[in-house]
Amino acid sequence: MKRLMIEQPSRLAVSRRQLLQTAAGLAGASMLPAGLMPRAFAEDRPAVGTFPAGASGSSVFIGITVPRTGTYALQGEDELKGYELAVEHINSGNDLIKQISPKTTKGVLGKEVKFGVADSAAKPNEAVQAEQRFITENKAILMTGSTSSAVAVALNKLAQREKVLYVTGISGSNDTTGKDCVRYGFRQCFYGQTAAAAIGPIIVKTFGKNKKAAYLTPDYTYGHTVTKSMTDYLATAGWTTATDQVAPLGAPDYSSYLLNIANSGADVLLNVNWGHDAVLSTQQAKQFGIFDKMKLVVPYQTPFLAREAGGDLMSGVYAATDFWWTLEDKYPLAKMFVAAFEKKYGYKPEWGANNAYMQFALWAEAVEHAGSFFPPDVIKSYEEGRKVQSTVGEVYFRKEDHQLVRPVIIVKGKAPKDMKNKEDYYDVVEIVPGEGLMQKPDAFGCSLGAYT
Amino acid sequence: MISWPNFVSQLFNGLALGALLALISSGLTIIYGTLGVLNLAHGAMFMLGGYAGYVGYQYSGSFVAAVAAGAIFVMILGVVMERVVIRHFYHRPNEDQLLVTFGLGICFVEIVRLFFSSQSLSVPPPPLFQGITNLGFMYYPTYRLAVVGIVAIALGVLFLLLYRTRLGMIVRAGIEDSVMVDSLGINVDRVFMVVFGIGAMAAGFAGIVNAPVVSLTPGVGDDILVETFVVVVIGGVGSFPGAILGGLIAGEIISITSMFNPSYAYVMLFAAMTLVLVVRPHGLLGAAGRE
Amino acid sequence: MACSAPQAASKRKRVMFKQRPFLIETLTAIGLIIAPFVLPYLGFAPNTVNRILVWGLFGLGFDILFGFTGLLSFGQSAFYGTGGFVAAYLLTQTGFSNVLGALVIGMIAAAVTGYLVGLIALRRTGIYFAMITVAIAEVFFFVEFNPLSAWTGGENGLPGVPMPSFNLGFTTLEFTDGWSLYQFLALCYFVGVVIALRIVRSPVGAIFSAIRDNPVRAAAVGHNVHGYKLTAFVIAAAYAGFAGGLLGVLQAFMPPDAFTFDTSGQLVMQTAIGGRGTLFGPLVGAAVWLFLQDFLQAALGLGAAWKLVLGVVFVLLVCFLRRGIVGGLADLHHRLAGKRTRPPQRQLAEPVVAGQTAAGDEPMRASASVPPPMHRPAVTDSSSPPLLQASGLTKRYGGLVANNNIEFSVRRGELLGIIGPNGAGKSTFFKMLTCEIGPSSGRILFDGRDITGMHVTDVSQLGLTKSYQVNQLFTGLTVRENIVIAALARLRGKFRLDLLRKLDKVEGLEKRVRQTLELVNLTARADTPVSELAYGEKRRLEIGLALATSPSLLLLDEPLAGMSPRERTETVKLLKSIGQNRTMIVIDHDMDALFELAERVTVLQEGRVLVEGTPEEIRKSAAVQEAYLGGIHGVLDA
Repeated sequence: MKRLMIEQPSRLAVSRRQLLQTAAGLAGASMLPAGLMPRAFAEDRPAVGTFPAGASGSSVFIGITVPRTGTYALQGEDELKGYELAVEHINSGNDLIKQISPKTTKGVLGKEVKFGVADSAAKPNEAVQAEQRFITENKAILMTGSTSSAVAVALNKLAQREKVLYVTGISGSNDTTGKDCVRYGFRQCFYGQTAAAAIGPIIVKTFGKNKKAAYLTPDYTYGHTVTKSMTDYLATAGWTTATDQVAPLGAPDYSSYLLNIANSGADVLLNVNWGHDAVLSTQQAKQFGIFDKMKLVVPYQTPFLAREAGGDLMSGVYAATDFWWTLEDKYPLAKMFVAAFEKKYGYKPEWGANNAYMQFALWAEAVEHAGSFFPPDVIKSYEEGRKVQSTVGEVYFRKEDHQLVRPVIIVKGKAPKDMKNKEDYYDVVEIVPGEGLMQKPDAFGCSLGAYT
Repeated sequence: MISWPNFVSQLFNGLALGALLALISSGLTIIYGTLGVLNLAHGAMFMLGGYAGYVGYQYSGSFVAAVAAGAIFVMILGVVMERVVIRHFYHRPNEDQLLVTFGLGICFVEIVRLFFSSQSLSVPPPPLFQGITNLGFMYYPTYRLAVVGIVAIALGVLFLLLYRTRLGMIVRAGIEDSVMVDSLGINVDRVFMVVFGIGAMAAGFAGIVNAPVVSLTPGVGDDILVETFVVVVIGGVGSFPGAILGGLIAGEIISITSMFNPSYAYVMLFAAMTLVLVVRPHGLLGAAGRE
Repeated sequence: MACSAPQAASKRKRVMFKQRPFLIETLTAIGLIIAPFVLPYLGFAPNTVNRILVWGLFGLGFDILFGFTGLLSFGQSAFYGTGGFVAAYLLTQTGFSNVLGALVIGMIAAAVTGYLVGLIALRRTGIYFAMITVAIAEVFFFVEFNPLSAWTGGENGLPGVPMPSFNLGFTTLEFTDGWSLYQFLALCYFVGVVIALRIVRSPVGAIFSAIRDNPVRAAAVGHNVHGYKLTAFVIAAAYAGFAGGLLGVLQAFMPPDAFTFDTSGQLVMQTAIGGRGTLFGPLVGAAVWLFLQDFLQAALGLGAAWKLVLGVVFVLLVCFLRRGIVGGLADLHHRLAGKRTRPPQRQLAEPVVAGQTAAGDEPMRASASVPPPMHRPAVTDSSSPPLLQASGLTKRYGGLVANNNIEFSVRRGELLGIIGPNGAGKSTFFKMLTCEIGPSSGRILFDGRDITGMHVTDVSQLGLTKSYQVNQLFTGLTVRENIVIAALARLRGKFRLDLLRKLDKVEGLEKRVRQTLELVNLTARADTPVSELAYGEKRRLEIGLALATSPSLLLLDEPLAGMSPRERTETVKLLKSIGQNRTMIVIDHDMDALFELAERVTVLQEGRVLVEGTPEEIRKSAAVQEAYLGGIHGVLDA
């Protein structure tokens, strides 16, 4: 044990057998099997992360972690459907993908896309473990997944350390492309800052100035930053915070929090909770008679919220979201997506699935444009700021923080009697263009880090 | 700055929470007091009561049937568990009893996860108790109000069972002196089985009664288990009145702390437990005998 | 177990280890070196292996706490998380760049936390202890999330923990991912194993086992049980803290999950699956766990059901294979090896049994090897102050008066007897003298010092101890180990942290143990586990435990209880030889035996002293005859 020989990340072409022979020769030395080292590649690129090992075969592998158990399980499964559809479209060269990524024929750079799925339970630790396994065992060339920003931030850091690209799933925290941003991470969806900036004016217009707000905030980076963005915005219209009730993820009972809110004298309740927490807390708020006293606003909408909460709970409620299926009337790509999704899964997609689909499509576009899986090339391709077609019109990635510049959709819940079909829960009241909503790239302390 | 309406509301909410904790804890404590086994699967039984009730509700559409299904299923499970497994552990060290009940608890949770997945389910409250009640100082969900009453009745029944029947006499004697019970020539074997069944039923009953209040997930029993431990340590292990007192104290501590900052509720609960351990190591109403 | 106590060569394996003291260390090193060449072929990815090592290291400390000391804690996540977050905080937030330094600081922080938590949790034992540790684990989780979330990152955890690197001057060792990091972790694990082995082989390790088997007796022979429990708790916390830090390094991310109750539960289950009390059990358990997790999920496509399978495996192991996989293998090995070596062992054992049943000359032989009895001037020296004096000793239980105003004294060198019918309060009286229970009123002076209200451990250390009416032995240990535990109390005092000292380096231990074994005639049975002893042998060991502490006053509570007439005769001889240079008080029902032994006899009745005098006087006392003697005597004779 004293004569540890430390393996340098070398580019040597050493097969495991050769290495074992060498090791056998070095009697007593605890040389380790670097047989897992990548075989040298014809391409004149240094090894970075799982490149070139992960891109040397006829297929490439994507590691997906979504919550399939716990509070966010429903949204995780939904997200997974979006990924599956995207992979199917990419591998078959579907029209919709070609609209987004014009250079795509079949697969990505001609290679079939394969993927593995692991349950993260919305826990960073589980997600990191699973992705690490995908990297070492499957040579994953891309990671994705998360419906929790805590997971997204952890995977961001993993991506930067392992030098493997990571495209976030759902993540609403400002930190994901703010203080915890990384060179290897990219986000498609909207987030606290843009949500607040988009829905804020409508709240003020609807409820007036100088009102009192109560917040129900989940206790992690997503909740904290969304609530902060909302309070900051509303403060400009003279709003004050009556109470901010911070609850842990997956709380089974909100009675204590809701009593505090009921007695706070607030005019508006902003429920920042997400996933099943959003459903449960909204239902219980109703039970505690809170909506007799105050109005509900959902700054960061949860897929299936209206469906799950039931009744007319969401009727007249404003919410900010990433995508709603009635956008098909406005965007042709949205129409194609909704049709394809409904055909395969039998219901209208919500924004989690749309986000997942778009992330893969945008990645395929970036790789095809780069013409290589070499991570720094792919990153630079993302950073070009090319305008790309999407299901919400033209979008592009901001190179300073890897955030997609995209519109935020403001919806308003319909009363059950106004619904044209059973999935017609919301009216799209406004599509707020992205540029004006976003903070300055360095406002949240983003520093992207190195390419290699 | 204390808002009095909020204080009263929280106080009341604490009573509701405490009543439920008292019921679950009393099941745990009479099992321990009589059999000397700390059942770490008690939280899982609470959860199973909810799920059995859910199934009962799905088939019958009646809340009463759901409650009966929850309570009876868990009681039977308790009896079976005692006969098949626990019985063989009476003469093994405490640690082994803890390990085996802990393992069984995990098995129960995972079986439920297998059949019902992790998605949360809900059982609607009975029509009679749906809606909101205006208590004057606060709005309160009618069903939660009813839970306080239902639990109080259940505790009353347990009290009668423990203090007014022959079985109860034996159980209480067993808590104070297990050797004495042996020497009374009572069929201890059968008593143990019955007590385990009753203790389990208390958890199962609480599980289904609580189901309409929260949503049902396989992990719903885990947090409750820890809370019942604190209740039992505060009240005194093996003491039925202690479980009730401990439950109410714990409920109020959680609620009152929640008024200021809900996330500190657990810390305060633990602080209270520590205080009790330092001042009265055997719990507020516990006897010094058992350890 | 195999490595718990090399001083005891009862099992073949132990003998082997004793002969080759570094065998386990060597095998561990070899195993760690070849693992990366073998495990990949069994389907273990380097990350999985690294994770197993972290769990294994975490489990080393836990096994010392649970397997060796018998304290089942469900709260180890508290220390795992504490160590992990302290290390991760230093490395990610403060610019502190020395990874090993951060790990050590994390370990120290966890140990300090363990000490503070232990002060509270160890106030209670058994069930209470388990419940308190569960609550502690939960509270740490909440504290991590709320008051401390600025430091721990709350739900986000602390991402960005760097890999270890060491600047050796001429080159820098960089441990990156996979097998490279394995080398660092394997080295950590190896050092952890070496230290753990030293601990369990030290006097403290021996006392840990004694506490597991019988904490009451461990305290009674003079060990500070609370202190040693706290020691085990702190050791476990330190191991947990270090392992927690490694988790952060391994993942480049310190997850908040480290603090959850699930972490503690998983550790407990892995340890029970692998085998408690084996040190390597947690490692094996973690390997089984992680392998099955991958295998059941990936290969069999069981999805979420993997945990159910593990749960069932766990329950079955607890039910049928108490000592887990490693323990089961060790037992199997013993059984196989035993076939070869058993006959000689039988031969060793049999003569003793034979000699015992055939003739009663064993005690004579034994006493021959005892140092020549001293003169007993004290017997005649009635001018010196009494060695023990009890005045006005009273014990009430509620309304019941067990002892009432007893006046009693013993002079140095005396051999006293106490008789009395059942319920006369004899045992209560002894318990008060040794301070196992406090008197309701009255005072006890021992050797001129007021010991009223002192702790039984301190009293034993002063030289006053007793043997029990109902055997209180360390049932999981051998005869020799039993005696060693008792002898250590006198040789080392009530508390000492010689964690790294080898047991056989304790000065005078070997000699004292040998003498005591000879004295109670158990030399030939020295390496027999207590569970295999005959009843009479257990009674002699019971006395031997008290003797090994070299008491200046020895109390024997019914040493003849439950013995056959022949065993009685022998034991009386034994007691005579023991009593030759000691001060002793003996309780017994057997009048004849007692009258033969004792120089002075006290008769207790209904908690009071009925009469006191020489055996002759007692025999003749009308009060005794009338009130008591006839009846009992008759019964005993019948």
